[in-house]
Amino acid sequence: MSVSLDVGSQADRTLSLNMTLLSHHELDGFGGVGEGVAMQVARDGRRIMWLAHESAPKNFTAVDVSDPRAPKMVVQTDLPHAQMRSNSLEVSGDILAVAYQTKQWGVKPAGFELFDISTPEKPKSIVQFDASGPYSRGAHCLWFVDGETVHMACGAADFQPRDPKDDQIYRIIDVRNPTKPAELGRWWYPGTREGDSAPPPRRMPVFDSGYRVHNSNIYPARPDRAYIGYIDGGAVVLDIADKANPKLVANWRHSPPNTGFTHTVMPLFESNLLIVTDECTKDDGADWPKMTWVVDNRDETNPVPIATFPLPPVEVFAKRGGRFGSHNLHENPPVKCAHQSERIILATFFNGGVRAYDVANPYQPKEVAYFVPGAPKLSPKGSVQINDVYWDDRGVVFCVDRFAGGLYALEMKI
Amino acid sequence: MRSERAATGERDPFAGRIPISVITGFLGSGKTTLLKKLLRHPGMANAAVIVNEFGEEAIDHELLETSSERMALLDNGCLCCTVRTDLQETLRDILTKRTHGEVIQFDRVFVETTGLADPAPVVQTLASDSLLADRFRLDCVVTLVDAVNGLGQLDTLVEPLKQAAIADRLLVTKTDIASPEQVRALRARLAEINPQALLLEVVQGEVDPADLIDVGLTSRQEPGEKIKRWIGPLAAPTAAAAGFDEPLRHSQGITSFCLWFDRPLNWSSFETCMNVLTSLRGPDLLRVKGLLDVEGEPGPVVVQGVQHIFHPPARLQAWSDADKRSRLVFITRGIERDLVANLFRAVGALASTGAGE
Repeated sequence: MSVSLDVGSQADRTLSLNMTLLSHHELDGFGGVGEGVAMQVARDGRRIMWLAHESAPKNFTAVDVSDPRAPKMVVQTDLPHAQMRSNSLEVSGDILAVAYQTKQWGVKPAGFELFDISTPEKPKSIVQFDASGPYSRGAHCLWFVDGETVHMACGAADFQPRDPKDDQIYRIIDVRNPTKPAELGRWWYPGTREGDSAPPPRRMPVFDSGYRVHNSNIYPARPDRAYIGYIDGGAVVLDIADKANPKLVANWRHSPPNTGFTHTVMPLFESNLLIVTDECTKDDGADWPKMTWVVDNRDETNPVPIATFPLPPVEVFAKRGGRFGSHNLHENPPVKCAHQSERIILATFFNGGVRAYDVANPYQPKEVAYFVPGAPKLSPKGSVQINDVYWDDRGVVFCVDRFAGGLYALEMKI
Repeated sequence: MRSERAATGERDPFAGRIPISVITGFLGSGKTTLLKKLLRHPGMANAAVIVNEFGEEAIDHELLETSSERMALLDNGCLCCTVRTDLQETLRDILTKRTHGEVIQFDRVFVETTGLADPAPVVQTLASDSLLADRFRLDCVVTLVDAVNGLGQLDTLVEPLKQAAIADRLLVTKTDIASPEQVRALRARLAEINPQALLLEVVQGEVDPADLIDVGLTSRQEPGEKIKRWIGPLAAPTAAAAGFDEPLRHSQGITSFCLWFDRPLNWSSFETCMNVLTSLRGPDLLRVKGLLDVEGEPGPVVVQGVQHIFHPPARLQAWSDADKRSRLVFITRGIERDLVANLFRAVGALASTGAGE
């Protein structure tokens, strides 16, 4: 009985180091989750995980993770139609903000919706912020951590991009009166708006993904700064002391030679670093390398890359199915139920799973844990595609699959 | 916003490493029998075992899949591989394959040495190869001694003596075919050679896995009982009460003792002493374990070494009881306690009111 052991890397196998599975919830068959993963501590003390779905028909799902070994679904909602997706959400207190992006310009609802989730089972709509327009698909991603302001990648009725791919700009919306959201300011990459005096920026030669905003992160430690992943525009840092007139502080460009799609720019204020991710958007390693960068930000006007997070070999993982490369981070959201760390960074890599890195020596980030679930049932790519991660203040790590796997709760021992 | 540093100080130096147990013992002492039985336990389904060869009577009777002469899957799912050139390379190889998902996600490793092997270099490999030290930790050294022939081997051969002296666990095997006198005499001898190790009798490899795993420290927040077990009986409170008046333990040139320090140690003095010791008598320092009260440190600092190789010192969260005196346990080949104590005195780490005065 001699069977070959040289199995290669099989996508149905779970790989793990220093992370163990506490539970897995497939979200009642709608296990495709986008990059909106946020936790609420409800008034009765329950911990509710809010998850934005990657695509229609579902809008968002809430799961009670008070006992991370026994998650229970609390509510699951539908989108009004299938020509849209939610993808991103945030929770601040008892208010949930959900981004709405349409497939085409001009379709509604586009923008975001606020919900009162004081009773998690019954989210009540507070308002819809309408950002629809002849050149707008609405919002792809939003940030809402202080109960006062929504920062987002969003189109606007009065914004006509020169290139259709450049339609989502940085917009700041005051929601202190949640029933009457009001725009405070906006910023777009110079040269991307019809009529701009600046020349249009150079398109990416290989994969032209567009000059638009992905993540915009703002922290109480630096309320006057917005850290923005500007897709093909690289990493952008803005001075937003005057929200009506954001000013460019720095723009770190590393594509080309890389293939663009800068996704997240996360500052580490104590260590003067930026952690920057470039999203992998192509299957089978076609857009490799899509890295997570460690950037020296001691001089914030001159960010300098000093390292990238080490990954398992692309030759092995590119063949595991679907995408393999960087995507989301646990962004240290400044909310009470999120773990904060300047030292351990959790990042997701699609079929590379969720991985933890120690950046105590920022020049040599060290992988200290990982979890790569085996391919979920009915996974269209034949592999897991871990999309986003959340690390709660109890130390539990949650990650989600982009297509089918739903929610995984993990214990990390480092 | 609290930072990781503020929250926990630093990463746990003990967590996040795959434990390795070294199984050693002279030829015919029953290592393979033990491993075969051990791997049958349910908790061992994700173990990897590294043996020297797939031999006649070896573990390969249980082989299910074999890819090459070097690596195989056992029918209970364990990974089994042979050491071709050296252990270092084998460990790096299975670690890489684990990362790639090409082998099982093993959660512990057993390394079986040859009967004639000196286990010290195996232990040193883990501490001195930085890649390996990052991913693995030595959990324990298990030494098997055959109850029928063990005493004779200890009398006449170098290897079994060192294997016994360096062990965390001493398993007396074949007690079913030895006379009670033989077993008693062997147990007494082993206790003299290595009073630190836990002594167990094993028949046909039947052993409770709990006795052989998680012997080493696995967390900086280990409970007091675990720390006491780890540092061993030589550093037990009864020995502490006896202080330096306690008789030295000698057997066939193996000397074991514990030094106590009443005052907090100065780290650089301590390092100086250990550097002098390891450079002059490295080969004779068979095993050193310490729980130290270091100036400026709120909790104990753990040190451990084999011969001249020391693991990086690691901080525990807190002292488990009121007795915060530093204790340093030695198993040596012919190094007398006074020599070590005098060295510490000379360097000034022992204050005039310190232990031994």
